[in-house]
Amino acid sequence: MLRFVLRRLLTTIPMVLVVVSLTWGLIRIAPGNFYSGERAIPAAIVQNIRAKYGLDKPWYVQYGRMVGNIARGDFGISLKYLGQPVNEILRTSLPVSAILGTLAYVLALVVGILSGTIAATRPNSRVDYASMTAAMVGISVPNFVLGPVLVMVFSLTLFWLPPARWEGFSVNLIMPVLTLSALYMAYIARLTRSGMLEVLRSNYIRTARAKGLSERQVLLRHALRGGLLPVVSFSGPALAYLITGTVVVERVFALPGLGNYFINANLNRDEPLVIGIVAFTSIAILLFNLAVDLLYGLIDPRVRL
Amino acid sequence: MASSIVPGAVDAAPVKGTSLWQDAWRRLFRNRLAVAGLVVVAVVVVASAIGPPIIKATTGYTYDYIPSNVELIKAMPPFSAADGSFSWTHPMGTDNAGRDVLARVLLGGRISLMVGLISTFVSLVIGITYGATAGYFGGRIDEAMMRLVDVLYALPYMMIVIVLLAVFGGQSPFNQLMLLFVSLGAVSWLTMARIVRGQVLSLKEQEFVLAARATGVSPFRIIARHLVPNTLGPVIVYATLTIPSVMLLEAFLSFLGVGVQAPLASWGSLAADGVGNIAVFPWQLICPGVTMAVTLFSLNFLGDGLRDALDPQMRKG
Repeated sequence: MLRFVLRRLLTTIPMVLVVVSLTWGLIRIAPGNFYSGERAIPAAIVQNIRAKYGLDKPWYVQYGRMVGNIARGDFGISLKYLGQPVNEILRTSLPVSAILGTLAYVLALVVGILSGTIAATRPNSRVDYASMTAAMVGISVPNFVLGPVLVMVFSLTLFWLPPARWEGFSVNLIMPVLTLSALYMAYIARLTRSGMLEVLRSNYIRTARAKGLSERQVLLRHALRGGLLPVVSFSGPALAYLITGTVVVERVFALPGLGNYFINANLNRDEPLVIGIVAFTSIAILLFNLAVDLLYGLIDPRVRL
Repeated sequence: MASSIVPGAVDAAPVKGTSLWQDAWRRLFRNRLAVAGLVVVAVVVVASAIGPPIIKATTGYTYDYIPSNVELIKAMPPFSAADGSFSWTHPMGTDNAGRDVLARVLLGGRISLMVGLISTFVSLVIGITYGATAGYFGGRIDEAMMRLVDVLYALPYMMIVIVLLAVFGGQSPFNQLMLLFVSLGAVSWLTMARIVRGQVLSLKEQEFVLAARATGVSPFRIIARHLVPNTLGPVIVYATLTIPSVMLLEAFLSFLGVGVQAPLASWGSLAADGVGNIAVFPWQLICPGVTMAVTLFSLNFLGDGLRDALDPQMRKG
């Protein structure tokens, strides 16, 4: 177990390095740079800028410096947001994305598992069809359509909720979280339903029923554990998707999260910021995947780590 | 499977068996939702294909035609003329520059469907080649190849795609489109590779592969001619479900402004244009958004129906 965790933590390092190097290479060979704009800059100034940011050094020196920065956990200074350290940008924008993502995923888990389980216990009933159709809608309606439609209904017609802006934990969060959550709710409901259906047919459930357990106990103590395995394994990749999803939701609701910074940083060729965000999210995703695998082993005793 | 068993015919009529495909077709057509999905998808495909020339012939509008009459350069609601009276000219209204939204949505349909199909094809080619190779050779090769897939699963590949599109895009709409096809295909082959590998692993133990090997057929030909055709059932099912998910990814990217570039438009970029105006001109978001949602909905139902029809045992989420 401990060896497993250590080994996985060690393999995280080369994986992050691969992602970061790939990103770095892409920005490197891309046309354009952060200092060129509409006005032409005199050659002497260009030279000064390049010297200041070390761009006149050979590529391996710059690469080495970039890797060294990441190893020290200091991602350098943004090229576009003048004078702002990347760490500072991460520190202010990350909580927004993280709160949004966490709330959305928790909501998705609660609603998804609940409706999926109810659907599975009454297959082909009206409840089943209703929740599975709702899930299909959730999968098919893109969140950049769902979000604005919610705004239109609840902010611009009913005037119940504010349409945008970040104010920490407040009613402002309701619509963004709902928008972000819909897709995962739908996926989780479908996964739970098919997982539970399979488990409910299995022999150990028949045994549990035969020994006289109440239906509620059969469900909660025996079936859920096996039926939720697909949901647990979905949670790993889900985080990667969740990050893409937040980018859109942040844009729709004008939230100051990581997503907008990431898109702008790319368009501005703001290398330290792009690398910082990519490195940070890769590490987060890999650690989260490790946690999911550990949880998997905890729930399913057949899995040996 | 009951329908595949022909009741014992006593009379002289020759017994006709039903193939897997006939059987699947029959099951598919019994699934009303799947048939409805098929119809809607067909309508969207036909409309995107022949719609633009028809609009051009009847009203003179194309996706980027901006009327020369200044009166017409403004956002008009669906079914209304410049003075607010009823008119058939713009069933989906116009955008801020007076361009016909229907023509733009149909162009967006062409682009979105094209991205869906071509990227899925790219992912099919990569996934089948990779999965079949890993499965056929097995052992250490398989181990290494599948380990790589596991690693790739855990990477934030959409971020890399955004970097790729943002830093290389914007040179020409055509290049951008090519970049989209390839990069979306390149990130969606992982599950396909896993499915094909699993199928090949069990298929390669069967006698017909042994027979082929005994008669001296090369590994490449065994994979291409004997193994891959036998995996097509699950592959087709998964491909049908890949199309909507790739279209959704494309829409994400276009919505963020790194996908399809102007003057071309896709459903994602049209929705992005419309989002800023929802308070005053809601149809600019609703029209492309609902068209896209309905199409994806239908494709998903069709994919689910195909899965149930082709492989009744594989009813997974």
